[in-house]
This record gives sequence, C-alpha cells and structure tokens, in this order.
Amino acid sequence: MDQITVEARPRDDRGKNAARRLRRQGQVPGVLYGGDGKSVTLAVNTKQLAAILRSESGHNTIFKVKLPTGDEPAMLKDWQVDPLLGSLLHVDLLRVAMDVRIHVMVPVHTFGEPQGVKLQGGIFEMVTREVEVECLPSDIPGEIRVDVSELMIGKQLRVGDLPIDAAKIKLLSDPQRVVAHVVALRAEEEKPAEAAAAEAAAPAEPEVIKKGKKEAEEGEEVAAAPAAEEKEKAKK
Amino acid sequence: MMMPKKVKYRKQQRGRRRGKAWRGGELSFGEYGLKALEPAWITDRQIEAARVAITRFIKRGGKLWIRIFPDKPFTKKPAETRMGKGKGAPERWVAVVKPGRVMFEMAGVDLATATQAMDLAAHKLPIQTRFVSRTGEL
Repeated sequence: MDQITVEARPRDDRGKNAARRLRRQGQVPGVLYGGDGKSVTLAVNTKQLAAILRSESGHNTIFKVKLPTGDEPAMLKDWQVDPLLGSLLHVDLLRVAMDVRIHVMVPVHTFGEPQGVKLQGGIFEMVTREVEVECLPSDIPGEIRVDVSELMIGKQLRVGDLPIDAAKIKLLSDPQRVVAHVVALRAEEEKPAEAAAAEAAAPAEPEVIKKGKKEAEEGEEVAAAPAAEEKEKAKK
Repeated sequence: MMMPKKVKYRKQQRGRRRGKAWRGGELSFGEYGLKALEPAWITDRQIEAARVAITRFIKRGGKLWIRIFPDKPFTKKPAETRMGKGKGAPERWVAVVKPGRVMFEMAGVDLATATQAMDLAAHKLPIQTRFVSRTGEL
C-alpha cells in the first residue's frame, strides 16, 4: 500500500502562467495540507498521479509524497480535470496519519444480473455510486462489492444493506439512501406526425412573469414593420 | 419540444460563448454520454431530433438523460423587413453549450448499443462530439 511514491517539489511561483509552464513540463500544480504540518504548494508528477487515479483503489490510494524535506504519506483529497482534454489541472493532497480515522468516499460496485431485469424486463439503475465511510487509512476498502441478482422491479438496494465490516468501518452515509434499484420501463408515446409537425411549426410562448409586454403591444410592433415599408415606397 | 414554462423576460441578448464547460462536464447519472467539443446554440429541434434518434434505436431498455435545456429565446425579424424598428419576435429556444459539456447520458444498455445510439444523436447536432464512458475517464 505504501509502496507508491509520487515525486514532488515545493513551488513558489503563482498564477496561470506558471501553472501552465508546469503542466507543459509534465507536472501538475498541487497543495499538500492537513495533519500537523503546514500547507505546502507543490509541483507533482502528473503521470504518477494519473496512474494512482486509474488504479484499483483509485483516489483512496495512500502513497508517499517524495519531498526534499522527506517523505510524507498522503492521499488525494480533490482534483481538477480539464473538461475537454481530461488532463489533470490541480490536485489537493491530504496528509494522512496512519493511526487517525478518516472520512473517505468508497465506490460501490455491483455484480450479477438482477432478476427484475432478466425476468421482468426492468432497467437496473445505480443511484449512488459512492458511500462515505470512517475508518483507519490502512482499512480503506478499494470498493464495496454487492450482489444484486435478487433485485426485483420496484425493490431497492439501500446503503444499510451493503456488506461492510462493522468492526473496522463505520458507515456515514444515510442507511436509507438508495444505492441501486430496478425500475419498470416507461413506454415512450409516439406523437402523431401531424401534431408533432404543428408543434414544430408554431411553438407556444411561455408565460411571462410580471411585467412582460402585452400581447396587443406585440401585435402592433409586427404590424408596424410592413406599414413602414409601404410609406418608403410611396416616397419613392 | 423543450421550452421553459415561465420566463421573466421574453427576449434576451445574445451573449458570448467563451471558455469551457467547467460544470456539467462529467457523467452524473448514466454509464455513457455524449460530450460537446465545440461551443454552439443547440436548438430545441436538434435536442428533440437527437432524443428521438436515441430512443428509436434502443427501442426497449435503457434510460436516457438530457442534460441541456433550451432556456434561451432567440429572435428573428420577418423576411423582407428593413432594419430597425426594434428587436424581432421570439423564434425558437436554444441551449447554450460550451466545449466539454455532457449533453446526453445513457444507462441500461451495452457499450456497442450506446456507441451507435450516441453516434446517431451526434449526427443531429451541429457540433463535433465525443462519446464518453465511465471506464474511459482520465
């Protein structure tokens, strides 16, 4: 678990220009905080961080941040990703004390084909993909696997039903919260072609709250345009 | 067609579409999605055409989320009208989409079906798009 090491160095330069320079060099601006130490701004190796995020334990992986002052155990607290390129833009690293319980979000993965899908023709839907738990850093589960093969239409799997080792892990999410359910298919009503065409041709206007222009006023405005043209022609 | 039920003002200024979609750029509901790669005004007709294309292709099974809503009215002056005399009448509704925005999401279908359905939907839109899935992030 602690074998992963991420290279980092403190950075002093601020602003978007410096941040962009860093990103071009294969590093990502970040900050290390939490625990007893002070917050430190860092430049962290992007490839190593991306590999951690892609790993099985994902963002709950505990790794060592290799700094000139020494190694510090840390985990990813938050990260920003470019919405278009998908590349890392910034990371927040949290110092981890191995003997202090922490709050983490653990992904929930399901297996098995629900009965409601196989026999009743419903749709299986995941509602909650992560649950919050409290545990020691060494006890963080990589994922919570749950069998959904018994799930029928209209039945839900709730957070309270998840198989969790209660001796080590305390569940913080609401036990009544739905994790997954099987819902019945709603038949899509096809509108008659004529009605659809009429709707497409002249969409009704929505209601205007409070001081909207009156309909009559609007009618005058439209009528005024052709009238003005006629006047112009008469002048010629 | 999608349009607001109530509005505060009937007409809006056009605005600008600079930057990326810093919100709504990740999959929130489904397993697969269609991401915009360019900025555009997506009209209510285009959204509806894409929705119909997806629902017809997947027939039964699968769930679709539309993550954009056409809440911006655009106006048009009547044909052969001289300039001036005020802003035209509201014509249709558009959704302002910036690059990176996840416009449609799907769940309950396999990868091949989702890819084809999203491809059909992409052909109804005036912009370049990319198919995204939960497994393919980062």
